Amino acid sequence: MQLKKKQILTSTLAFASAVLLAAPIFSAPNYFEDDDAEEEPDTYLAVTGGDIYTGTGEVLRGATLLSKNGKIEEIGYNLYLPKDTEMLDAKGMRVYPGLVALSATTRLSQGTFAAGLDFHEFKPHDENEGICGDCGKDLEVIVPPALDPGEYSTEHIAVEGLKSDFDDSYDPYNGFLVMALGNGITTVQQSSTAIKLLRGRIDGVTMSDKTLTSFSWSGSNPAGKADLRDKFRAGNGYLVDYRRWEELVKKDKELKEPSKKGIDSRVLSVLEGRTMAKFNSNDAGDLLGIARLAQTNKFRPVIGGCVEGWIVAEELGRAGAYAIITPRTRLDRTENLAHETGSSIENAAILHKAGVQVAVVPANTSIDMGGTSGRDLLHLPIEAGFAVRGGLSDKAALEAITIVPARLLGIDHRVGTLEVGKDADLVLTDGDILHYQTFVQYTVVGGEQVYDKEEEVFYAHIRPRAEVAVDAGEEVAQKAPAAEDAE
Amino acid sequence: MKMKNILIGVSCALSLQLAAPASTNGGTPDLFAVRVGSAETITQGTIPHAVILIEHGKIVMIGQDLEIERGVPVFDRPDWVAIPGFVNCYSRAGMSSRGSSGTTPSVMASTELYPTEPIYSDLLDLGVTTLGLYPPGNGIPGQAVAIRTRGDSAAEMILDDGVYLKMLMRSNASSKKMIRAAFGKADKHGEDVEKAREKWEKDVEKWEKDEKKRKDKEKKDKEDGKAVADKDDEDKGPGDFVEPTPDGTASAFLGLRRKNLSAMISIRKAGDYLHLVDALGKEDFDWCLRVPLRTDIDLYEVKDQLGADNRKVILEPRLTLMAWTMRERNIPDELSGAGANVVFVPNGDDLESHKMWRFHVGHVVKRGMDYQAALRGMTLGPAEVLGLDERLGSLDAGKDANILFFSGDPLEAASQLEMVMIDGNFVSDEVVR
Amino acid sequence: MLFSATLLVVSMLSQASSDIPAPGMYQGVRPLVFEHAKSHARPIAIRCGRLLTMADSNAIYDPGMLLLRDGEIEYVGKPREISADYQVIDLEEAWVTPGLVDLHSHIQTGGWGDINEMVTPTNEPYSTRSTIVSSNPGIRRACAAGVTTLFGIPGSGTSISGFGVLYKTKTDADYEEIVLQDPGGMKVAQTHNPERRAGDLGATRAGLSWLLEEVNDRAVKARDSNTFDPSLNNLTRIQAGELSVLIHCAGNDGVASTARMWKAKYNTRSVLSHGSFDGWYAAEYVASLGMPVNHGPRTFNITSGIRESRFVNTSKAYVDAGVPNFSLTTDAGVIPQEELFLQATVSAHYGSDPYQMLQAITINPAKSFGIGDSVGSLEVGKHADVVIWSGDPLDPRTAALKVIIDGAVQYSQADDGQWF
Repeated sequence: MQLKKKQILTSTLAFASAVLLAAPIFSAPNYFEDDDAEEEPDTYLAVTGGDIYTGTGEVLRGATLLSKNGKIEEIGYNLYLPKDTEMLDAKGMRVYPGLVALSATTRLSQGTFAAGLDFHEFKPHDENEGICGDCGKDLEVIVPPALDPGEYSTEHIAVEGLKSDFDDSYDPYNGFLVMALGNGITTVQQSSTAIKLLRGRIDGVTMSDKTLTSFSWSGSNPAGKADLRDKFRAGNGYLVDYRRWEELVKKDKELKEPSKKGIDSRVLSVLEGRTMAKFNSNDAGDLLGIARLAQTNKFRPVIGGCVEGWIVAEELGRAGAYAIITPRTRLDRTENLAHETGSSIENAAILHKAGVQVAVVPANTSIDMGGTSGRDLLHLPIEAGFAVRGGLSDKAALEAITIVPARLLGIDHRVGTLEVGKDADLVLTDGDILHYQTFVQYTVVGGEQVYDKEEEVFYAHIRPRAEVAVDAGEEVAQKAPAAEDAE
Repeated sequence: MKMKNILIGVSCALSLQLAAPASTNGGTPDLFAVRVGSAETITQGTIPHAVILIEHGKIVMIGQDLEIERGVPVFDRPDWVAIPGFVNCYSRAGMSSRGSSGTTPSVMASTELYPTEPIYSDLLDLGVTTLGLYPPGNGIPGQAVAIRTRGDSAAEMILDDGVYLKMLMRSNASSKKMIRAAFGKADKHGEDVEKAREKWEKDVEKWEKDEKKRKDKEKKDKEDGKAVADKDDEDKGPGDFVEPTPDGTASAFLGLRRKNLSAMISIRKAGDYLHLVDALGKEDFDWCLRVPLRTDIDLYEVKDQLGADNRKVILEPRLTLMAWTMRERNIPDELSGAGANVVFVPNGDDLESHKMWRFHVGHVVKRGMDYQAALRGMTLGPAEVLGLDERLGSLDAGKDANILFFSGDPLEAASQLEMVMIDGNFVSDEVVR
Repeated sequence: MLFSATLLVVSMLSQASSDIPAPGMYQGVRPLVFEHAKSHARPIAIRCGRLLTMADSNAIYDPGMLLLRDGEIEYVGKPREISADYQVIDLEEAWVTPGLVDLHSHIQTGGWGDINEMVTPTNEPYSTRSTIVSSNPGIRRACAAGVTTLFGIPGSGTSISGFGVLYKTKTDADYEEIVLQDPGGMKVAQTHNPERRAGDLGATRAGLSWLLEEVNDRAVKARDSNTFDPSLNNLTRIQAGELSVLIHCAGNDGVASTARMWKAKYNTRSVLSHGSFDGWYAAEYVASLGMPVNHGPRTFNITSGIRESRFVNTSKAYVDAGVPNFSLTTDAGVIPQEELFLQATVSAHYGSDPYQMLQAITINPAKSFGIGDSVGSLEVGKHADVVIWSGDPLDPRTAALKVIIDGAVQYSQADDGQWF
């Protein structure tokens, strides 16, 4: 039984053109044009016997997923497995797409050393190693003007072999990366770059770069709003003129191209579908303004915060907006205003119902090492669970931490669901990933198994694998054990 | 046999290299032999009952139970173990200037050498016969110098200058850019040379044309009876082509490419190594790795790659912990086992660290590292880093007679360093008397 | 009745030989039950899919029925025939539990202000009663998340922070109607926060301990000699075992010294609160003294050193060490009060038994603080504090459908909208 071929995105034309325009830059980086190199043999990984939750709505029970060279080759039953296929037994487990974490701390990609122990006899050549003798942190390696660092521009996306600022500082061995993998996260957003959490490799880390252009829209800055409105209007005007010119110049070669002068290049990149417009706003009035700006100028806004989005959900839906929300965010209602204000636990559900694409981020986009559990990056499914509390379906909640963030990072053709042709980034869990007792047992990134719960020091001691037999998604209120008397 | 010995001795004496050793210590003869309980040659393994023949500061011969001709003084010490002098290839001993961050590859550490610093003779007493001194700072601070730890002047001490170019590398864009840009400068210099040559050729062409014109005019003037210009006014022309001198960076990196210079690249973690390889791309030159071993360093993650390259890695002799755990890792052992070339430096640059150096190495051996590899890491390995492995670092005929004599296994805490010999001179008079 | 029982126990344990004064000698504790606070509206019958009583019997009824009359629980058990005078709430899929109890909460003022008054290092006479803003938005939201009983306490600015009030999270009631017990108990900050105040004695751990012992010794003397000292009034009652004391502490050293002082030395009816960071190292010592632990907001500890870097479930560590009564807290607003259930959730995620964690937010805190006969479980005669959930209360995906306190519906999702 074969999975249907991937459907072409049926969202707006602007979005489709964004994908098409962006497609050439998503080739794998190729640093060595070495024609003499031997052909590397194909590598295969088969995840067998698990219940595969593809994210497209299909669930295949007891099925096999085969990956070839890091891409999903086939999903189904009785697959032919080539010789030397690496096997990963998923019997009794569920297979989900790897989670996509937005706004994640850079600790994940760059790492820091764990709090070390002191060896007092150790005196490194500190200053000449670029290390501060006191705290052990790196001293900066400064590039002097003589070498003209201006050449390395961070403004544009590298074309051949997609690279970003984060490529060169990626630490593929760091412990925070392992913690993230151990909680199901396989792709993270750092600033406006999408990073694949490869372990032990630095090639192919950047999946997309600078796909989001930030704009500011706030009621406390009405001049700024007016300015932005004008810029968008001018941008659209220019595009219309340009298209008209493209037609007319075929007949009249002398016709001058419309001037780009005064047209905001960032606005243009949004209107041409090269990037998506990102706003950060919580106020219902501002959200309404953004929705209207988007509808007038025909682009789909990505809105972070969006706490009062539920109040203007219909307009946001009509604008085709994306909302990045933290379901638990609490903003007290302003009691002295007659109309609705403040946060609502039903925000995600209401937005989703109105047609807004909802992505979920946790309250703390870093990793909490201090002991307050359940509100940081490592507990993404719990955050998504709060959206369900407010009425969102389990399915949409899972989408909010997989395919929707992938879409707004422009990488949904590679990750977010388990489909043939997409990257083999997946997690094996011992139950419903949205259930609080579920643990990630294995993680696969780029077709390679990169995490095994029992092999890493962090969680191996928690319900060791031999004891986990039952699907934890079932009801768990057992009869109480023979508990000692309470007092 | 006797004639052969003398002939060998003479020919070895004739092949002395540039930097002459310091004048002999009052007592040590110029030709003598030492008979020891055992000798660790490094290159040929352990020789029991070894006899070492030394002349003019060089090892002439070494072998088991060699017969020495009558007349040659023999120092008989059957309780001693002989090893080559320790080489610390990465030190700032006796140098106190502070560096900055930047790319200054033509800075030479040798300019900072103060031969009368007492630490050198202290180090010599501890068995360190050769030192590699590097310039201070981050980025690309400059080139190191190799010295013997004995002498009153720079000329006496310096064995070789510009022994390696020190570079610091980290996982970030600017660091990788620094390396690529530096090689880029070497490329640009090549282009500049080409351009200059083209220009010179054009200039020559033009001058030749002008000369011809001038000569023709002269001829014509002569025929017409006009005055002829003085010979002094004649234009000599552009002359021979002079290649433009490369600036410091281009020069150094051209040197790397031409294998005149090697590099020592300092990194902090396993990830840095992957980024370094990425930044170097297809550049082919001689380089070794310096990695300070912090407690939770993850260098073991790339041991296979380091082994495959037989990379020289300069480390402290210490045990570390696998990151986030209390599991001990013996990185020198692991790297050595994977095929990398482990070179040791003491835990610190002070005297006490140098004194403890061999004990720390001994500890690493107890925890699994191969004995010979560890010993090599204090002698021939660092000599290779300094490009002096043809000349010192092992007990072989033709090499400098830098020899340490221990009362037992040099890596054991119980053994004492009984005597140090440098360039064939016993450092103290005791032995000689 | 409760007091005399306690006094009996205390007198058996007390080292002093003199008489324990009769109740009423010391002034001013509001009695536990206010007649006017109970609802005398139409009795309520609840029929649900799963009824978790949290009683000592650990009875669970699938399906279950609960009858409430005059603010008390009239019947708990399997569904049965009922008369027509009941207002029926029939939710087949719902789970029903007792209202949740949090012993360490600061949300009574409606904000962050007014929770500390640092007059002297031992701030004994301070009480939170004058700072309570009843039915403030935080309290209402807590109610909507099933939290029905709170111990509203001062902050940790001083070592004896003062006295707090035990109250119910009614959503539209005045001060009188919400008070369960006043003074509810004492709050002590044994470590950390008070040490930040420099100057007077008490800026260091040792200084703090000195102060605490000094003032407690005076209270013991007052108790034994039957003396009334207004500045030591309530503290004497603590030493007499009439009131409970909640002690904020953390770290291996803090936890051990807390247990040693308040349980081993003074044998008060005390509960160790927080016990964060590596406090769990001292769990067995605390257990050996029979001292209850009220844990949170931090519920895990990433170890280091010899224990490597593991995510240690500290809730489980305390329970496994044999602590006789384990409860959880939010230290609201450090963690929002409405997320009390989540403390149980995350502990269950990291390996604790979910049922034990549910006990930790219902009956256990109640019992440890002397109100276990009134709240914390669904048993006949107890306060009608009931939560009807859409599913497993530990699952973040579940919401509270209805919350009843003292027999009156305080929050109904269907009628009031979803507050949380």
